[in-house]
Amino acid sequence: MLEGLLVDLVPYGKAFLDLDHRWMNHEASFWSSGGERHFMSQAMIAARHAQWAEERERAGGGAGVGFGVQTKDGKPLGYFGINWLSAHHRVAMLGAKIGEPQYWGGGYGTDALLLLLDYTFDWLDVRKAWLMTTSMNARVMRQMEKAGFRLEVRQRQSALADGVWYDWLAYGLLREEWPGRAALVEQLGLRERAAALESGTK
Amino acid sequence: MIEGTLVDFVPFEDDFAIYLETWMNEEAWFRAHLWERREPHTEHDVKKYIERMEKDEHGALIGFQAKNGDPIGAVIFDHEWPRVRKAEARFFAGDSRYEGSDEVLDALLMLVRYCFETRNLHRLDAVALPFDEAKLDHLRRAGFVHEGTLRQHIRWDGDYVDMEMFGLLDSEWPGYTAKVAGLDLQPSGLEPKPRLEKKDEKKDGAG
Amino acid sequence: MNLEGLLVDLVPLGERFAALEHRWENGEAAFWGDVGDRQFLSLAAVKRRQEERAARKDQGLQSGFGIQAKDGTPIGVFVVGDIKPHLRLAILGVQIGDPQYWGGGYGTDALLLVVDYAFEWLDLHRLWLVTMSLNARVMRQMQKVGFALEARQRRATLADGQWHDLLFYGLLREEWPGREVLVERLGLRAKG
Repeated sequence: MLEGLLVDLVPYGKAFLDLDHRWMNHEASFWSSGGERHFMSQAMIAARHAQWAEERERAGGGAGVGFGVQTKDGKPLGYFGINWLSAHHRVAMLGAKIGEPQYWGGGYGTDALLLLLDYTFDWLDVRKAWLMTTSMNARVMRQMEKAGFRLEVRQRQSALADGVWYDWLAYGLLREEWPGRAALVEQLGLRERAAALESGTK
Repeated sequence: MIEGTLVDFVPFEDDFAIYLETWMNEEAWFRAHLWERREPHTEHDVKKYIERMEKDEHGALIGFQAKNGDPIGAVIFDHEWPRVRKAEARFFAGDSRYEGSDEVLDALLMLVRYCFETRNLHRLDAVALPFDEAKLDHLRRAGFVHEGTLRQHIRWDGDYVDMEMFGLLDSEWPGYTAKVAGLDLQPSGLEPKPRLEKKDEKKDGAG
Repeated sequence: MNLEGLLVDLVPLGERFAALEHRWENGEAAFWGDVGDRQFLSLAAVKRRQEERAARKDQGLQSGFGIQAKDGTPIGVFVVGDIKPHLRLAILGVQIGDPQYWGGGYGTDALLLVVDYAFEWLDLHRLWLVTMSLNARVMRQMQKVGFALEARQRRATLADGQWHDLLFYGLLREEWPGREVLVERLGLRAKG
């Protein structure tokens, strides 16, 4: 579907849905949700999937576009996508969750983000991409800055994680600020990263 | 009914809800609902909206009227996140004569009081257009802190405009009484409008 | 919300229009709007269509307005339909239900209001419209307002036993000078 250097973006199909049970009950969700900890049974996960499918159908033009992220040799890593699309404002809110901790850092998430941004601007004719993360997520904050997003809003004490208040941060990127995936790949040295992975070093 | 200084809070009975049919098509409504598509709202839309708000345990729609009983507008909180106890606060004067008035400010203060002191929320979010002077003024006087600007986030009348973001923490709220004491709220002294009657369902044609 | 014109206002497509739509859908206006089709719609069928329309509106796929004369008389319906968000285009559908209001600028006034709305508020970049070659009135209106005739599907629709062409008109945002300019150019004026 969307082919990158370290990852591909593919439909969030059965292979991914099956892993949701592990990912939802897991540290990855803590970070992506800003402090939430879940206890979800298989049945609860299945019910949630059914609910999402129904909402997607009902939402029509406002539905998001979700992708599964997988390594070049097909290992499912998590989710990257547009959680919410406003057609009349032409603004897309992005969301991501890499479920496998060994793949945090290393460029996988960044590669996925760049693929998603090109798609969002070039295919959906969106003018602005934005996303929110919490102030405890230093990794994502760094990634946002490297990709060219601007910190636009700090909602103070709006996230609670292990008893500590953090801020939700909104990062925004306008289409006219987006130089295109190719330029960022160059800037961030993703090709070198991919080559290093291939040759077995990290 | 909850009594405030210049306004009282009332539930959305039928005789109050009928005003929403006009109010949901007014500029003030759209300025309080920036994210929604700008489009006309029918009686059906109003009915569905009220039902949705009634069913939603994580939000409330409350009417407010002047001390003489004249319906002015509504306050809303929604998108409540129970775990972190935060929600978004909205307010608008359906009766445009009251735009920028202390009546609307009092309604906002009463909403904040309700959210912090009754619903036990920890934080309120609010948004406004950068050129909505009345709303910006009310938010600041109520103590909301400007937390940032979502740039070019909204399509508005042929332009892309910013969305100003505000937040208020319960620790920053001195309480309704203390707040009002420091603000010197002045009533607008406006005459009540002629009462809107519920339409006869059998009628069709020009209204 | 209301869009206020010189001859008409566009208002919410609510209950005041519901009963009239039944009359209009079974009348002469529908013949023109449906490019030659004639239908026999019960009140229940019209109600079902209105519900489907409301559902599409909730999904963001279309937006509808009632058209009323300045004195408040409901005279028709205007729909911005089949909105394709990622393509930023939509089809326009108008029906002036009451033949008394054909010609005279009512439809054009409504069209100018809707075009501005679609470009300014919905951030669309293209609007299109289909009519049949029998509809001289709409063809003239398209030309005057600045829509381009983009395609002609020959002998594609049947009206009262005669084959007619389907005409596809389109307008791009960059070609649109704004309602004010058109009002001036067409000499649209409020009725005395």
